[in-house]
Amino acid sequence: MHDYQSGCYCVMGSMTQAMRAQRVLADAAIRADIVKSDSGESRRGCAYALSYSCAQAVNVRTVLSRAGIRPREFYGGAHA
Amino acid sequence: MIYLDNAATTFPKPPAVLRAITDCMRYDCGNPGRGSHALALRAAEHIYICREELATLFGSAHPERVSFTANATTALNTVIKGLLREGDHVLISDMEHNAVLRPVFKLAETGRITYNVFPTHPSDPACTPKTVCAEILEHIRPNTRMLICAHASNICSAVLPLEEIGALCRRKGILFVVDAAQSAGHLAINMERMHIDALCAPGHKGLMGPQGTGFFLLGDGITADTLTEGGSGFNSLDPHMPDEPPERYEAGTLPTPAIAGLTAGIHEIQKRGLESIRAHLTACNRHLSERLLDLRGVTVYAPHHVGSVLLFNVDGVSSDALATELDRRGFCVRAGYHCAPLAHTTLQTPSGGAVRVSPSIDTTEKQIDAFADTLKGILQ
Repeated sequence: MHDYQSGCYCVMGSMTQAMRAQRVLADAAIRADIVKSDSGESRRGCAYALSYSCAQAVNVRTVLSRAGIRPREFYGGAHA
Repeated sequence: MIYLDNAATTFPKPPAVLRAITDCMRYDCGNPGRGSHALALRAAEHIYICREELATLFGSAHPERVSFTANATTALNTVIKGLLREGDHVLISDMEHNAVLRPVFKLAETGRITYNVFPTHPSDPACTPKTVCAEILEHIRPNTRMLICAHASNICSAVLPLEEIGALCRRKGILFVVDAAQSAGHLAINMERMHIDALCAPGHKGLMGPQGTGFFLLGDGITADTLTEGGSGFNSLDPHMPDEPPERYEAGTLPTPAIAGLTAGIHEIQKRGLESIRAHLTACNRHLSERLLDLRGVTVYAPHHVGSVLLFNVDGVSSDALATELDRRGFCVRAGYHCAPLAHTTLQTPSGGAVRVSPSIDTTEKQIDAFADTLKGILQ
């Protein structure tokens, strides 16, 4: 389980979507790690999320949006 | 032993493919997309890299639109049954493999769709892309929703003009589905330029991967119904399959080591280059064709098409008997109908089919000569 209060996360859904987003962020020099979101937090069950530094929160939104990637949700830091 | 049945499956696989499979099994074989521990992530990385390689190879910008299947047949079944709706009309070429004919036939037999076969004239050296497109136009109906064709035949070296057919389908609003079983890894395919809506292929033929690998790529905006349902690694509380590709079409655990092997096979293809591979296979079969046509009583089918496959018969000898004798003398070739009775009818092979020879990127001229000399010996 991840503590969404102590870091920044975006929930992607599948592993493939998480990996695609991770690569797009890497191309923009933003490091993000794949984590599993808490199964209990969604009515649909588990999903994969990306964890990244909250200092990059705005950049993450911009870069993903430019790539046409729409995360299900953002958590933590300025997103909260 | 000289293996000349590479159209069935390529053999031997490059050493890098074997290494990739065993390394993956030894070090990285968690369950991809199931959990986020180190081994699961390493396995998922293998899968995603292969999706990226395949998307790039076939001109798609979307690795997430690559879905893995056990083989090309499952890919075709998923695409055909998942995209067609009650009342649709389908066009298939007269060179199709049973991987296309049988699912289409079953849908038609149960009254869900209708279909027609359009001629491609592989035996006519004067046939052009324009001729093929004119034939297609003649068969289009108001409810024609899909056209399915093999890019390259599995029994001779005829190749269909995908760019022209794709443009025609796009103009007419028809879904264009391509069976690339014999062309993936041998011929350039660009989904975008060729207007392909769904591309289906095996990993274990021209792409040099292991058996148990196949895939389909869907074009932008194309969503098919699912053929199988089950675990997808996420959204576990939802009884429906996810909407998003590729997991929508990948119920159950993927064969990570095999897919790692497929990536290594693709790297091998990239190293050698498609043009060089094609040139080598063409040179092998041109040489074989010349040798065979020197022998009395030998018929080579559609000899003006020279590529990765050569089909022949010997007067008065059944193809099976000939293949059995060749096997006894150390040559692996395939006789019969090659799961493509439609294509055999088109080429007018006799009852019992014909003998197919399909060299590989490693076949040598010396091996081709050995085959021709052995055949000559059998016929004397």
